[in-house]
Amino acid sequence: MSKELKNITDNIMGQIHDKKIKMRPKMYFIVGSILTFVGLVSSVVVSVFLIGLMRFSLRAHGPMADYRLDQILSSFPWWAPIFSIIGLVVGIWLLRKYDFSFKVNFKVIIAGFILTVIVGGWVIDSIGLNDVLVRRGPMQGMMRQYMQDNNIQNGQGDGQGWMRNWEN
Amino acid sequence: MSETLKLTDEEIIEKVRSNDRDLYAVIIERYKNKLLRYATNLVHDDDKASHIVQDSLVKAYINLNGFNTKKKFSSWIYRIVHNEAMNVVKKYQNEVPILDDFDFESEQDITKDFEQKETAIYVEKCLNSIPLIYSEPLSLYYLDEKSYEEISDILRIPMGTVATRISRAKKLMKHICQKN
Repeated sequence: MSKELKNITDNIMGQIHDKKIKMRPKMYFIVGSILTFVGLVSSVVVSVFLIGLMRFSLRAHGPMADYRLDQILSSFPWWAPIFSIIGLVVGIWLLRKYDFSFKVNFKVIIAGFILTVIVGGWVIDSIGLNDVLVRRGPMQGMMRQYMQDNNIQNGQGDGQGWMRNWEN
Repeated sequence: MSETLKLTDEEIIEKVRSNDRDLYAVIIERYKNKLLRYATNLVHDDDKASHIVQDSLVKAYINLNGFNTKKKFSSWIYRIVHNEAMNVVKKYQNEVPILDDFDFESEQDITKDFEQKETAIYVEKCLNSIPLIYSEPLSLYYLDEKSYEEISDILRIPMGTVATRISRAKKLMKHICQKN
């Protein structure tokens, strides 16, 4: 056994008494949990919206038409996914390090998360729930801007779902 | 003091968090030897292992408010040691480990002591010959006497995987030890 280990109690307790090491406040862990939650929720919201926007854009322009991706890129609120990614990364890092909440494989969680977002986006778009969100939700301004930029009229390129009754 | 010794780890942690910092020494005394053995099995180096244990106990203290006292402290501290050891293993991946002899505190005669030492080295050699993913749960189960559930918490793998790895580790050990 090394000498260091024999003195380990004295070493650590000495550092605690000298206040060289301090306990992190509870707030640190509360903020970590909140960041994770906010990151997860905003990731889901933004990702579902992005899936819906892509489906709408494909319908509006048609698969063979001139597909103006730059319009989507220029009007997309980039702060939202950045905030989501930062929240998720920091939250997962904290959880992985000192928490037992996630015993399952993180690769499975991430794969499940992505699948949920894609399926969720498709289902919400198909049943027309996003019509309500676009008219009343926080993405209303962005969608209006997107339609103006692309000269999309009411009902254009629409088979179902998005913008069916826009501004009716 | 004797009353303190009767307290569970989680009860002591509660007291440490509510300003009785000196009680952390009791936790250190309870765990330092077990953790050293565990870390040594992972990194195969006494000095690195003692650094890992010290760093882990410091980290545990710093993050004590993040520990959920409804869970087992033992699993939590082992998990921290596991993380620290894995960092060291990755850092020194290309180094060939030099195994030091273990100390035996025993009053047995020198022949028996020698035999015991030989057996321990032999078993340790066998254990080190099998991949870490198998040797770690095996040593946690037999040397640290952890349950499958605790091993599952420490390694963050399902209990079924723990059982499979231990079973494979036993087969591998048998194969390697018989061959030698």
